[in-house]
Amino acid sequence: MTSRLMVRIAIALVAFAVLARIPVGFDVGFQFDAALAVIWAFGLLSLVLLTGYVGQISLCQATFAGVGAYAAGMMVASFHADYLVAVAAGVAAAFALGVIVGLPALRLHGITLAIVTLGIALVFDRYVFQDHAFEWFTGGSGGWRVGEATMFGLRMDSSKNLMAAYVVLLALFCLVGLLMVNLHDSGAGRRFRAIRDSELAAATMGVNLTRYKLLAFGMSAGIAGLGGSFYPLVAGSVSPQPFWLFTSLQFAAIAVLMGVRYVPAAALGGIFMAVVPDVLTRFGHGTLFGRPYEISYDWFSIAVGVLLIIQLIVLPDGVWGDLRTKALHTWSTARALGTRKVKVA
Amino acid sequence: MAAFAAYTIIGLSLGGIFSLAALGIVLIYRTTGVLNFAHGAMGMFSTFIAWQVFYGWSHPFWPGWLSTLLAVLAGLVFAAGMGLFLEFAVFRWVRTREPVVKAVITIGVLLALQSAASLIWKNNQYHLPIYIAPQTWTFSVADVPIGANYIVIIVAALALAFGLGAFLRYTGFGRSMRAVSDSPMAASLWGVPVGRVGAVSWMLGSLIAALAGILITPFINFDTTSLTLLIIDALAAALIGGLVSLPLTVLGGFLLGLLETYPTIWIQSLGFPRLIALLVILAVLVVRNPRGLTAVATK
Repeated sequence: MTSRLMVRIAIALVAFAVLARIPVGFDVGFQFDAALAVIWAFGLLSLVLLTGYVGQISLCQATFAGVGAYAAGMMVASFHADYLVAVAAGVAAAFALGVIVGLPALRLHGITLAIVTLGIALVFDRYVFQDHAFEWFTGGSGGWRVGEATMFGLRMDSSKNLMAAYVVLLALFCLVGLLMVNLHDSGAGRRFRAIRDSELAAATMGVNLTRYKLLAFGMSAGIAGLGGSFYPLVAGSVSPQPFWLFTSLQFAAIAVLMGVRYVPAAALGGIFMAVVPDVLTRFGHGTLFGRPYEISYDWFSIAVGVLLIIQLIVLPDGVWGDLRTKALHTWSTARALGTRKVKVA
Repeated sequence: MAAFAAYTIIGLSLGGIFSLAALGIVLIYRTTGVLNFAHGAMGMFSTFIAWQVFYGWSHPFWPGWLSTLLAVLAGLVFAAGMGLFLEFAVFRWVRTREPVVKAVITIGVLLALQSAASLIWKNNQYHLPIYIAPQTWTFSVADVPIGANYIVIIVAALALAFGLGAFLRYTGFGRSMRAVSDSPMAASLWGVPVGRVGAVSWMLGSLIAALAGILITPFINFDTTSLTLLIIDALAAALIGGLVSLPLTVLGGFLLGLLETYPTIWIQSLGFPRLIALLVILAVLVVRNPRGLTAVATK
C-alpha cells in the first residue's frame, strides 16, 4: 500500500467524519437537503467519470438516476424486497441502460453524442416516466411509496431517521469517490484517458474501444443510479419531476462549472445544487426599500446558466480545477521563497 | 379517409414549424460553428414577449389585426436584439474554442432563458395562444375543414426557406455568409467581415426561431417548457439536412412532422412523438453520419 493511497484514504475518512456531523441538529428540511446533496453528487460524480475521464458528453445523467430510483422503488413497493436488494436492482437497471445508451456512442462523439443523449433524456422525461404504458415501472401518477427500510442494522425513513440514510449515502459516496480517484491512475483509468485524448490513438495502442466505452457508460450510469436508488427512501416516494430533462442539463452545467475532471468538485457541486436553492427560498424573502421581494428556485437556475457561461469564458477548467491550479502554484512559489532559491530563466 | 387528410394537414403544419426552427439552427451552425441547443428557448422567450404584448398590453379598443401586428413585431424585434446581444456578449469571446465548448455554453443560455421565462410567466400555467389569422377563417377541401392558421404556417415555412435560399445565393451578403460557412479563415483573408456575418446569422436565426414559436402556439400545450423542448424535433430535422442543406432541412422538417402526427391516430400519448424524433436522430447519425458535422468540427 503506497503512501499516496494512505493519504487518499485518510482524506476520505476525514471528509466523511466532518460531513457526517454537519447536518446533526438541523431540522428535517436541511437534513433532506444534505441527503439530496449526496444523491446529486453521485450524478455529478458519474459525469466526472464519463466526461472528465473518458471525454464522452452526456445530457441524460438524471435519466440514469431516475431509472435507478424507479427500479429501487418498484422492488420495494411491489416486490417488498430488502432495500439493499432494491439498491442493487437500481444500480443494475441504470448500468444496463447506460450500456444501451453507450451503443450509439460507439459511433458518435462530441456534439452528436450530446444531441442523442438529449433526445434520450427527453424521451424518458416525457414518455417513459409519465406515460400509462410504463405504469408497471413507474407506479402510475402517484409513483412508488417507500415508508421505511433497514440497512446495515440502521432504521431509515424520510422524516425522523433521515440522518441514518444520509450517513449511509455519504459513506457510499466517500467510498465510490475514493475508488474513482484510484481509477484515474489504474490500467483501466489510463485506457479511459487515452480514449479521451484521441480515440484513434487509443485504438492504435490496442485499447478495446467497444469494451471500454461501453464499460464507461455502464459504470457512469451505475454511479448515477446508485445515488438515484436512494431517492425513494430519502423523499418517501418517486415522481418524474426530479429526474426530468432540466435536471440532466443542470447536472451537465454544474459539473462543468465546478470542474468536470475532479472528484471533490462533484461533492462541491452536489452541495451547491441541493442546499443553495433551499437556503435562497427559505431566507430570500422580505422587503427591500419598502418593496417586498421573493427569491424563488428560478433565480438559482438562472444563476447556474449565467455562471456556466461566464465560467466557460473565464475559467475553462472549472471552479475547483482553477482554484486547485492557483493553490498549487501559490504553494510552490511559497516553498521557493522559503528556501530562498531564485529561479533563473 | 377524412381523418387521414386532417392528420396530414396537422402533420404538415407541425412540419412547417420544425422546418422553421431547424433553418435557424443550420444557419447559425454553418456560419458560427455553434450548435445552438438554446434555439427553442430563444424562440420561446420571444414568443412570450409577443404574448405579453398581445394579451397584456394591447388596448381592448384596438382592432384585432393591429394587436396581432404589434405583438408579432415586438416579438421579432426582441428576438433580433437577443440574437445580437448573445453574439456580442457571449459567442464573440469563444469563437476559437472547440465546438463542444460552444454547445455547452448554449446549454447555459437555455437554462437561463428557461428559468427567466418561468419566473416571469410561470411555468405550469395555461396561456392563451396567439392566432395570426382569426380562428373563424376556415375552408374545407374534400369535406375536411382546414383552419387558416395551418395554411399560414405551411406558407410561412416554405416562403422563408425559399427566401433564405435566394438571399444566400443571389445577394452579396449571402455570398459572404456562404464563404464564412465554408471556411472562416479563408473568408477573412479575402476581406469578408466574419464578425458581421456571425452577428447577422445570430439575428436572423433568432428571428426565425421567434416566428416558429409564435406560429406554433395554437397547436401545442403553450407553456415555457414545451416550446424550449421543440429543440429536439428541430435538431432532428436539421440532422436530416446534414446541418448543411437548407432544402433537405425543410423536407426533413415536413417529413418529421408527418411521422410524428400519424401515430397519434392510434396512440394517445404526449410523449410518443419524442420517441420518433429520437429514432430519426439515431437513424441519421448512426447510419449516415452527416458530413456537415465533421466538416465544421475539423475546421
